[in-house]
Amino acid sequence: MKLTHPVYISAATQISIQQPLSEEWINAPVMPEGLYNEAIDPLFKEWLSAGEARRLGKIMKRAVATSAVAMNRSGIDNPDAIITATGLGCVKNTELFLTDLCNNGEQLLKPTQFMQSTHNTIGSLIAILNKCHGYNVTYANGDISAETALLDAATQMQLGDIKTALVGAHDEMTPCYYTLLERIGYYGVKGMVTSGETAVSLMLTDEKNDSAICRISDITVLHKASDSKIADTLTKTGEASCIIAGFNGKAETDLLYKSLIERHYPDSTVLQYKNLFGENMTSSALGIYAAVSILKHGRFPSAMYVAGPTGKSIDSIICLNISGNNIGIVKLTAL
Amino acid sequence: MIQDPVVITGIGIISAIGNDVVATLDTLKRGESGIDMIKYLKTEHTEFPVGEVKMSNEEMESKLGIATGTTTTRTALMGMIALDEAVEMARLDAAATAGSDIAFISGTTVGGMDRSEQHYLDFLAGDSFKEYISTHDCGACSEMIASKHDIFSFVATPSTACSSAANSIILGANMLLTGQSNVVVAGGSECITKFHLNGFNTLMILDREHCRPFDETRAGLNLGEGAAFLVMERMSHALGRNVKPLVILAGWGNACDAFHQTASSDDGEGAYRAMKQALEKAGVKPEQVKYINAHGTGTPNNDISETHAMQRLFGDSVPPVSSTKSSTGHTTSASGSIESVITILAMLNDFLPANLGFKTPIEGGVTPVAKPTAGADIDYALCNSFGFGGNDSSLLYMKPGSDDVEGRKS
Repeated sequence: MKLTHPVYISAATQISIQQPLSEEWINAPVMPEGLYNEAIDPLFKEWLSAGEARRLGKIMKRAVATSAVAMNRSGIDNPDAIITATGLGCVKNTELFLTDLCNNGEQLLKPTQFMQSTHNTIGSLIAILNKCHGYNVTYANGDISAETALLDAATQMQLGDIKTALVGAHDEMTPCYYTLLERIGYYGVKGMVTSGETAVSLMLTDEKNDSAICRISDITVLHKASDSKIADTLTKTGEASCIIAGFNGKAETDLLYKSLIERHYPDSTVLQYKNLFGENMTSSALGIYAAVSILKHGRFPSAMYVAGPTGKSIDSIICLNISGNNIGIVKLTAL
Repeated sequence: MIQDPVVITGIGIISAIGNDVVATLDTLKRGESGIDMIKYLKTEHTEFPVGEVKMSNEEMESKLGIATGTTTTRTALMGMIALDEAVEMARLDAAATAGSDIAFISGTTVGGMDRSEQHYLDFLAGDSFKEYISTHDCGACSEMIASKHDIFSFVATPSTACSSAANSIILGANMLLTGQSNVVVAGGSECITKFHLNGFNTLMILDREHCRPFDETRAGLNLGEGAAFLVMERMSHALGRNVKPLVILAGWGNACDAFHQTASSDDGEGAYRAMKQALEKAGVKPEQVKYINAHGTGTPNNDISETHAMQRLFGDSVPPVSSTKSSTGHTTSASGSIESVITILAMLNDFLPANLGFKTPIEGGVTPVAKPTAGADIDYALCNSFGFGGNDSSLLYMKPGSDDVEGRKS
């Protein structure tokens, strides 16, 4: 969908396996080793009391911190909408409750674990802490969750229903759940990037305020699209000087990206991000975040480079996410 | 009212009160409950009455023509049954819809948890049953349901606990209004699992008796399960392909109570805002609303909070209200679409569905419709769905008058 009513990104921040809440990864990226890596957490005391920090799971604490930073940087403390993406939700608490249920039966289970196991706990917490009574929805759409959340925000901005939206993408991983996902070949395939964790908060505004960084000019999510449908959509999306794609080291996925990019964007700079940020269900939000940062700073770490002209200035980026049956296409344009 | 509004052209439903639209309508008109003792879920907590779909997984597979042993979940099976019915009613077969952008938006929170809780220890031990690791997440569940019909070019999964299906309908309406989709099939599906039966039990919000929404003696909810889907399109699109609009989706609202993860505020701020937005979007005055299908879980907290929200919006003239969770049980993520279908059936058949089990009003509260009541002309009806975290949504349906079929009436 071409966004005729403008949508700006006014703040973008992350907690991931790179340095948290910073853009240090552009100058000195952490080069992840091994197949399982957890996020580098900041000190949470700026946003949460010691008691709250103890009570909340890490996915919640990260969401609180990235949301607060995005609100602060954009100067918007009460967005019209809070839209959250999470592929697996609060994995840790789900795991605790489930383990207890399976091992110890149904008599002595803990309410707190259940309360903090639901996917929408994350977006609700941000609303509760900031007294935001606006639109509040969570998408748990597997690998395409982040794009779906962005699409909802952009759609409502086209209709004039909202003017500001805090869009978050949050997923945590545990060693145990990693093992399960390894069994089904989601992780740990030969040559694959590490697993990661995602906490990304973006502030979207329909007006170009002082903190505006770039525009989202197009966003489309496709399901089981034919080659001609994909070609048609990419033609409508138009050219971009840079493509950021979700290469993850799985031969099959990488081949899909490669052939699509060669066919449609032979002259663009091609970048990857999962080699730096890792793979999980909302890692495409880290790709979008990275694209925003590259448009802001005009450069990227050499580790991201895959192909295409070097040294050419980047004024538009298409973020490509191909996974399973779905394709997410998000086009960002410099101001 | 929006020009060329969003209309509903097909519905499909399965719950404790029937496996299809006809059976559901019949049970509602007779004022019967589908809540009974636990039969299909394997749990220690047999003391809690529940609204189970009256079919085993094997029976559902057989009804759907799916080979036994195929990797499915109960949520997906129920979803497919409801989807089949909605697609058939709206004549959305692949041939008729070639080249159209059709979205499938299905809310769930439990996803594939029914299989995960059966096989979690197997998952940890080794490779047996590992196919159910792939069906665990909510998105996988929607894709499994969608795969029953090869017509969808977009699949999304709102997960806002008990308002998930209502939020599917809201996203669907917005996608139609921006022209991203020609047709949307929206709703939700959710089976009962030990996981959330126990979760609700730890929160002490399950009643050991049949639930009694809006009653002074209410003591909690009965869990239910099921699925329902609504086929949505613009009026012009429906008329263009000669499909009859059943009702108009005239308005919708989504607001956050922003109060507590598992409790509603006393003044029902989120609920009030959601209902108010729905009316404002449609340009409808409170007095035009002739029926409210309440969220009405039967918990002490929800029902008083929702009562206060309705009283804030409607003053002393709260329209007839009922919580049909007294028949279906609380179908959690599916409740927004299950109760939308019930509301639509009430509008099309001119009756008020019953709030079973009601005897004594809450002091200063509302008196819900205690029995199925014929002869009700429902022009506008609200359908409320509120979720944990204060994710509150309200949908406003309108009965099309003869003028509206031309899309002219404002």
